[in-house]
Amino acid sequence: MKTKLIYSILLLITFAFTNISLPESDFEKAMLKAKKNLKTAMDNYDESEIIKSRGQFERILQLKEKTWLVNYYIALADYGLAMSAMSKQDNDKLKKYTESGIAVINKSIDEYPDFADSYVLLESFNFNRWQYEQDKMQDIISASQSADAEAKRLEPDNPRYILVTGISQFYTPEAFGGGIKTAMPTLQKSVDLFKTRKEKSDLYPDWGNDLAMGYLALCYINRNDDGDMVKAKELIDEASKLEPDSKFISNYVNGELKKAGSK
Amino acid sequence: MKILFFLITIFFLPAVIFSQDQDSISKNIITLISGNVIGENDKPLNGANLVIEGTIDGATTDEKGYYEFETEESGKKILIITLIDYADKKIPVDIYPGNNILLNIKMTKQEVKTEEILVTASSFTSGNNTAVTLTPLEIVRIPGADADLYRAITTFPGSNQVNEGSRITVRGGNPDEVLTIIDQASLYQPFIFDETFNTSSYSTINPWSLKGINFTSGGFSAKYGNILSAVLDLQSYDMPQGTGMFAWLGLANASLSGVYLSENKKLGGTFTAGKLFLDPFFAVNGKHSEYSPIPQSNQIGGTLSFKPGITSNIKAYAFYSDDDVGIRSSSPSYDGFYRAKSKNYFANMKGMFAPSSSSLLNTGVSFSLYDKNTSYGILGTDEKYVYSKGRTDFTQQINNKISINTGAEYEYNEYKINGKVPFYSYDLALDAPSIALDTSSSTGRIGGFIESEIRISDDIFVIPGVRSDFHTLSQKISTDPRISFGYMISNFHSLRGAFGLYHQYPNLSNYSRTIANDLDAESALHYILGYEYNRENKIIFRVEGYYKDYSNLVLLDTNTFLYKSNGEGSVKGVDVFFKTKISNKFTGWISYAYSDSKRKQYGAQILAPANYDITHNLSVVGSYNLTDRIVFGLSYKLSTGKPYTPVIGGEFIKLQKLYKPIYGEVNSARFPTYNRLDMNAQYIFSLFGKFAVAVLAFNNIFNQNNIFDYTYNFDYSQQIPIYTNNRRTIYVGMGLQL
Repeated sequence: MKTKLIYSILLLITFAFTNISLPESDFEKAMLKAKKNLKTAMDNYDESEIIKSRGQFERILQLKEKTWLVNYYIALADYGLAMSAMSKQDNDKLKKYTESGIAVINKSIDEYPDFADSYVLLESFNFNRWQYEQDKMQDIISASQSADAEAKRLEPDNPRYILVTGISQFYTPEAFGGGIKTAMPTLQKSVDLFKTRKEKSDLYPDWGNDLAMGYLALCYINRNDDGDMVKAKELIDEASKLEPDSKFISNYVNGELKKAGSK
Repeated sequence: MKILFFLITIFFLPAVIFSQDQDSISKNIITLISGNVIGENDKPLNGANLVIEGTIDGATTDEKGYYEFETEESGKKILIITLIDYADKKIPVDIYPGNNILLNIKMTKQEVKTEEILVTASSFTSGNNTAVTLTPLEIVRIPGADADLYRAITTFPGSNQVNEGSRITVRGGNPDEVLTIIDQASLYQPFIFDETFNTSSYSTINPWSLKGINFTSGGFSAKYGNILSAVLDLQSYDMPQGTGMFAWLGLANASLSGVYLSENKKLGGTFTAGKLFLDPFFAVNGKHSEYSPIPQSNQIGGTLSFKPGITSNIKAYAFYSDDDVGIRSSSPSYDGFYRAKSKNYFANMKGMFAPSSSSLLNTGVSFSLYDKNTSYGILGTDEKYVYSKGRTDFTQQINNKISINTGAEYEYNEYKINGKVPFYSYDLALDAPSIALDTSSSTGRIGGFIESEIRISDDIFVIPGVRSDFHTLSQKISTDPRISFGYMISNFHSLRGAFGLYHQYPNLSNYSRTIANDLDAESALHYILGYEYNRENKIIFRVEGYYKDYSNLVLLDTNTFLYKSNGEGSVKGVDVFFKTKISNKFTGWISYAYSDSKRKQYGAQILAPANYDITHNLSVVGSYNLTDRIVFGLSYKLSTGKPYTPVIGGEFIKLQKLYKPIYGEVNSARFPTYNRLDMNAQYIFSLFGKFAVAVLAFNNIFNQNNIFDYTYNFDYSQQIPIYTNNRRTIYVGMGLQL
């Protein structure tokens, strides 16, 4: 009997060791692959690739692990698709992906309410709603403000939270409390926070650094004192090194710099 | 030996297991699963996700709807297919290793839970039938509608404003034949002001507080009882989505509203408070009547929601409003101020509970009190209307083709009047003979219904139902069988129809002029058939024909001066509607209604045009987004003048020393053609870092002198038009998020 017991314990230890020694679980491997694909697709504004990577995450849900995080990425893919629709002024698709994204990110929040990034995404989705349902302005504003407050409460120094605030200020006219002057310190703060940011896990979201640098570069290009093209160029170069595939940096921000330089 | 076996096992078992695993992998045969995913009309669907349940084996369809993926799974498996806006699908598959599978899949659109206002002339809706809609934003933006839900509805065919106010009439019926329901409770006075003396009424319902509105102008479901013509069914938001406040200041009104949501999202509330003040409005636009006092109103209300669990919700709604107006009015027998004051209280509590994933129970109680004071010359009355109601509805989805709805309600109604009314309706002088009144009456109504929604196929559904009501005062029972159907002819074309019996018990005040309360419920038989073309909600064309046959209408017996239930009538007509969305910039619609409504009711002893029989009615509404922030709107209305009974002369009454009017045939004359053009503009911007919206509205741009009514000189030899007070006006207002 004693022999059988020792035998069983050692057998279990051996199996346990065998499993622990695996570098990544199927879930982690699938997540990292899908996350990489989504990032590439979003960097390239490639709608069909975003749809594909959204599908990858949907399939990962079948593994029933960290479904709140998987849902976060599905919502992030929806956000990418919504932004693509917005750039094409396709309000039907914008509504479709925004509403899907809000439903999915709320599912994620219901499961794990302490993840600040989820609220950052929820707030961003609510900004989209202005494009197609201004009639629900009270609803939109209160939903945005609640998401903002929750993100701030959970992680006031989350660089993506600061980034979304900075972008909002960037697009708000100066006369109404926004503008480049207001946005610059916010975006600079986001850039600084990204420098020291270490995500808890490789599975966690890490997007936004290029956007923060890009928008800050846009501030330097467009500010009233004829801009600081040198500083803008430095930021673009730094962002390009960090995110070589970012079309936002290589095409849009760089294009703006060239336009400003040719004036 | 045992130890040796043990050691061998310990050191080699993992290797054996591992090698077995590798062996099995190498032996596993890959199976290719491929095919196409299509939607309605065999359109390929891009982005559909396929996955074998419990694995990550799957794929996403491309632009051509094609998918393929490899799997090492074998045996009986479930393939799950998902796509945004489409119902999830699960298909069992038998995987024989190596035998590739070709599987084409058809997806069906998910039932759209629209938050838009659905304006349908039929008693049914479906996912494909959400086309003829009116969003809260459109309500706010329709020029001339003054952000009023009811006025906005009148830009659709089949309904008309009463004297340019918010009360509506439908297909030639009386205004009290339109029932407003909010969260199951009947709302009998959702208005401030009374149109009787040239003061337009306004709705007290904030369109932005509504999550769903369904307006049916005929052929409605058996769940709606004791109503003859139309139902406006409103649902307020169950739970706010956040916390915030909004303030509005305009030339004629100010309001403050707010929403609150607790951190755990289980408790929420909303409030709104508003005040109407017309001095600045009159200072800018001028006055067309003499007022004492100037129209004024206060409103306050709110909701409180509690969500004890995921599948339950309790909501309380309360509202108060008052209004006061004195308007100079001249009649042959009296010249003075018509004064009307009213107070309106309403409270409702509703509970919702889902006993299972396929059933829903709604139950609620409500109370309302409407207190109205009216005075003009010798006329001076105080009327009180009390309504209270308890209602329970239960819905059970039997399967994906059949669901059953059933419910029961009890409604109590009380009417009190005291004061005095003129003995002769034409003599309103302060010293004229009068009758003192101090009466009250009450009744109860018990009703129940059952109906089933049956989807016979993907293209055909029917909703048969029946309801029955018992009126305690008259001891009369009414039973109403109803049926409606829909048939999708093809992707863009559909046919719809409804047929059924509808009853409404007469207004409580009518029973005082009967013997033993012997009045039947007024009844109408509805026949409706419509066709709709809907091209992805971008182009919508609808035409609908209807016929209603009325019986048991309240009719005055000229011998006894008592009311009886032997009136009759009919209405026939055609509604045409065209709505288009040309790009994201422009939305507009045109609606036309033809109606021929005749009734033998109240004083009309022969079939005569009904009081609200508008033969032709045309509305054109357009909205253009100049930028994301600036929107222009235009609205035009043209309609046949309303019928009225002309006075054809006067007879001098020596005793009273005044003339008595001699009336012509009932409703034998009509007002001139009505027309009005309104415009507005909205600008959305940011102020102090907060959202703000500014509105500029021009009503009745061409300053059309539409007729409100006619009065007469002392001997009725001269007809004098009274023009509506809604002449050309300008309104500005601004709202700010706090």
